[in-house]
Amino acid sequence: MKRFLLQRLLLFFPTLLGVVTVVFLLVHVVPGDPVEAMLGETASSADKATLRQELGLDQPLWTQYRRFLAGLALGDLGRSLYERGTVTELILTRLPATLELTVAAMGIALLLAFPLGILAAAKSHSWIDRFSLLFSLLGLAMPNFWLGPLLMIVFSIELGWLPVSGRGGFTHLILPSLTLGTAMAAILTRMIRSSLLDVIHENYIQTARAKGLSERRVWLKHALRNSLLSVITILGLQFGALLAGSIIAESIFSWPGIGRLTLQAIQTRDYPLVEGCVLLIAISYLAVNLITDILYRVVDPRITYGR
Amino acid sequence: MSKKTNAKELPAKLTSFSSLILLCLWAGSAGCRSPAQSDRPSGYLVIAIESSPTHLDPRYATDANSARIGALIFNSLMRTDGHSRLRPDLAERWEAVDERTYLFHLRKGITFHDGKALTAADVRYTYESVLEPKNRSPKRGALRFLNSVEQVSPYEVRFQLAAPFAPFFESLTLGIVPGDATGDGSAGGSRLIGSGPFSLVEFSSAERVVLKANPSYWEGAPRLPGVVFKIIPDAIVRALEFRKGTIDFLQNDLEPDMLPWLRRNTGASILNQQGTTFQYLGMNLDHPVLKRREVRQALGRAIDRDAIIRHILKGLAIPATGLLSPQHWAYEPSVAGLNYNPQQAKQLLDMAGFPDPDGDGPLPRFRLSYKTTNLDLSKRIAEALKEQLGRVGIELEVRTYEWGTFYGDIQKGNFHLYSLRWVGVADPDIYHNLFHSGSIPPNGNNRGRYRNQEIDQLLDQGRQSMRPEERGRTYSRVQQILAVDLPYIPLWWWKNVVVMNPTIEGFMPYPDGELISLKQVSFTSSRPAK
Amino acid sequence: MGDRVSVFVGTMILLLLAAVALVAPVISPHSPTQQNLERDLLPSSKEHPLGTDKLGRDLLSRTLYGARISLLVGISTVTISSLIGLLIGSLSGYFGGWVDQLLMRLVDTLMAFPGILLAIAFTAVLGPGLNHVVLALCLIGWTGYARLVRGEILALREREFVRAAQALGGTPARIILLHMLPNLLPPLLIQGTFGMAAAIIAEGSLSFLGLGVQPPTPSWGSMLNEGRQFLLVAPHLTTYPGLAIMITVLGLNLVGDGLRDRLEKRGK
Repeated sequence: MKRFLLQRLLLFFPTLLGVVTVVFLLVHVVPGDPVEAMLGETASSADKATLRQELGLDQPLWTQYRRFLAGLALGDLGRSLYERGTVTELILTRLPATLELTVAAMGIALLLAFPLGILAAAKSHSWIDRFSLLFSLLGLAMPNFWLGPLLMIVFSIELGWLPVSGRGGFTHLILPSLTLGTAMAAILTRMIRSSLLDVIHENYIQTARAKGLSERRVWLKHALRNSLLSVITILGLQFGALLAGSIIAESIFSWPGIGRLTLQAIQTRDYPLVEGCVLLIAISYLAVNLITDILYRVVDPRITYGR
Repeated sequence: MSKKTNAKELPAKLTSFSSLILLCLWAGSAGCRSPAQSDRPSGYLVIAIESSPTHLDPRYATDANSARIGALIFNSLMRTDGHSRLRPDLAERWEAVDERTYLFHLRKGITFHDGKALTAADVRYTYESVLEPKNRSPKRGALRFLNSVEQVSPYEVRFQLAAPFAPFFESLTLGIVPGDATGDGSAGGSRLIGSGPFSLVEFSSAERVVLKANPSYWEGAPRLPGVVFKIIPDAIVRALEFRKGTIDFLQNDLEPDMLPWLRRNTGASILNQQGTTFQYLGMNLDHPVLKRREVRQALGRAIDRDAIIRHILKGLAIPATGLLSPQHWAYEPSVAGLNYNPQQAKQLLDMAGFPDPDGDGPLPRFRLSYKTTNLDLSKRIAEALKEQLGRVGIELEVRTYEWGTFYGDIQKGNFHLYSLRWVGVADPDIYHNLFHSGSIPPNGNNRGRYRNQEIDQLLDQGRQSMRPEERGRTYSRVQQILAVDLPYIPLWWWKNVVVMNPTIEGFMPYPDGELISLKQVSFTSSRPAK
Repeated sequence: MGDRVSVFVGTMILLLLAAVALVAPVISPHSPTQQNLERDLLPSSKEHPLGTDKLGRDLLSRTLYGARISLLVGISTVTISSLIGLLIGSLSGYFGGWVDQLLMRLVDTLMAFPGILLAIAFTAVLGPGLNHVVLALCLIGWTGYARLVRGEILALREREFVRAAQALGGTPARIILLHMLPNLLPPLLIQGTFGMAAAIIAEGSLSFLGLGVQPPTPSWGSMLNEGRQFLLVAPHLTTYPGLAIMITVLGLNLVGDGLRDRLEKRGK
């Protein structure tokens, strides 16, 4: 286990470097000029050239890359070209909002999926099961940008229970996290249901029943443990989708998070900010991956990697 | 994937433990947000805007939101009225000592939001910090003819130009910052101090801008206690917030079809009046087909503006004859507009040597690409244009891009046709930036690569003359030539649409979307507190 | 019993959709691109059974033609992604060691990537359009298949029949293709059905960001996005393409779920 952990941690950094390098290349290769965005349309070409020079944008790509890496090693992500402040400041200011949203979305996904999945498996082929299928379908097939406004119309305008958009207290979090989390909830529900159904006929479950354990204990304690592995896998795999979905959800709900910041940075070709945001996204993704793999091993030590 | 698990307690504990953590994190983080931040301060007017202002410091503000909000926080020497004419603001009066020297007399008794008096020293500081290359101000280019700004006395400022340069007057609308403000418009932006009717309380760049009334404003304190600009990127969400009552005011950036819905479902007052924002079709005059004037004239007549305005824009625009709208002081009324005449368009194309190879059949005379951004309304307009041009035998290939790529391509000349708009047309010297042969990017915005010697001469003349009547005559001639040459095909002037809570009174819309009349606005007594 | 029904119903749905896509030009009452600005946002009528969109185009025809685009995007994305994933995953799983480490690092790097950046970069450099959408989706999507294949091969590698084949001196390629592939196909197929659903939905998200198919091509994703602006005044613009997507996803999920249940049962 320890060796495995060490191995993975060692590989963390090269992978990160790889991601960051690819992003650097990509962003610089894509057409579009940040200086235009910064100076607006009335600036003279001399001013633009001066700015380009000051920002080091006229240097060859390799030099810019080296500078970027050097800054990175020192923990300096540079200053945003378009917004006020350093990249680190901007990201740290907006990060809590996205964390709040993502965690809430995962929480909602789990809260919805477990009861529904368990019930669907327990009463398989009944109307509860059909309903859970329908729910899954809606959650998966409805894109955020459609589901969000629909939820707003129902819960905010018609019923008047919740605010429409924006970040604020607890009530402001419900609709955005519901919108973001339903896709994950849908997948988790089906996954829990099917892994429970797999297990229910197994011998050790019959044994537990024979031992006289209550039906509920059988389900919750023993059968559920089996689905844990799948749930962890899904959470890990879908985390990336959650981040991607947050870009859209944050725009719809006027949520001041990293997703929106990344989108804006890409559109204005704010190179340092794009690189900073992607770095953050990559780190979180790789970290979640690592945690998932670790949990895998914890739950079932028989899974081995390599030879 | 193994199906059996070891009978260990660990995994179950792990699950419950982690779900507990998740729940705590969630509740905790949500609960941490103080309610006060999301509620509106009582009595404040809440306006929804589509995107965040980039810089509120007037020395760095380039986008419309920054300019409009900045105008509430800062005063300038002069400001523009509804006809794009300059009116005195901080300057009580002024005189032209000679063609290159101008003396401004400031009003006395004006203070900044921190109580310090506004004097000529602050004016000088503001302009000098823009001129300072190290500050990288985007407004520096416009001031390149300014030699010096001198403090003649505590309330008199003298501007010295290198040569007569009419656009100088436009730079008199630059907001004045205190002489002890920081050099660059970056960190510390929330400490912005001006002398305007409202002071800046909070600027969180993704969420809101909060302004508070300035009780010692020289024209009299505003009747509103404050204004909140809420940043809401999505148009539907803005409409829903208005319906819910959490927003009081919306200006433009609306889906035209939403207006009837807003009228029916909310008791909103809806104002709409002619605006100055100019939508045009840009063409690449280096393209072998587009360089022919007959082709451009044919394009102009093949477009049915009225149909687009009536159906797609729901009447929220007026067909345009040129860059300057009728309220502008230099507008030339004798310039005829382009009428929809597909017959004549076809004849012009035939004359230009591009006959239709198979009459009414599917083969086109030629193909052109049309680049547009991926805004829904722009795409719709693109598709309508494609259909209309198809009727006269021109095949249009619509290509949508995200903004950065689109803009880069346009500047590089990598396009055939595109459509954009100019917002906030003020001094007619903008013609120099758009149509002078020396203004081809990167030196300006002559993206179509238009070259006309007579126009060059007229535009140079126009900026050197300091007398409005003379300039008026020059720019009249310019408008007449451009209406025939058609480097741009004028499409329409967008109307200014304001949707507001009916309890708001005193708001006067400006054709260019200025919000300065908020200083006179108040709520009538029947307004419910929310 | 239930899973056989699932697979059957699901397959029926998909076949119906495929049929509709195939004969769309024949059964559409109007051209999907014929504009009529005066007859915009009309509700259902005899002439336009599903109503018209903002430019006066018949919604039914656009939805029918949209089936072609959406199904095309789904099928091509899944086919290409799974082929790439199969290649990389089998190399990684079979040979293990540093090959495995290298390829998995590649997979990790790509998966840590925000897909939208890739999508924007693609369309920016290569130009917009359907092909590039598919390409972008493939580049983002193959990693899932690679991991799946690798996992399966890791398990299969230890099985007796593989050891036997190795002992008999088969080349890796032979072993993988001849012996392992039949075992790989079911999970791949299952993953594929879900992947196709995801691709169809992803196409909608790309449209939201302005990176999808070009106008006037109708695809359900872009129709959903276009209709979004009119949610309050003309909900039918989003309802029908949305329903179409949901039915397709339902069909795909039924097939995938059913197959997976059958596979699990058979594996006992």
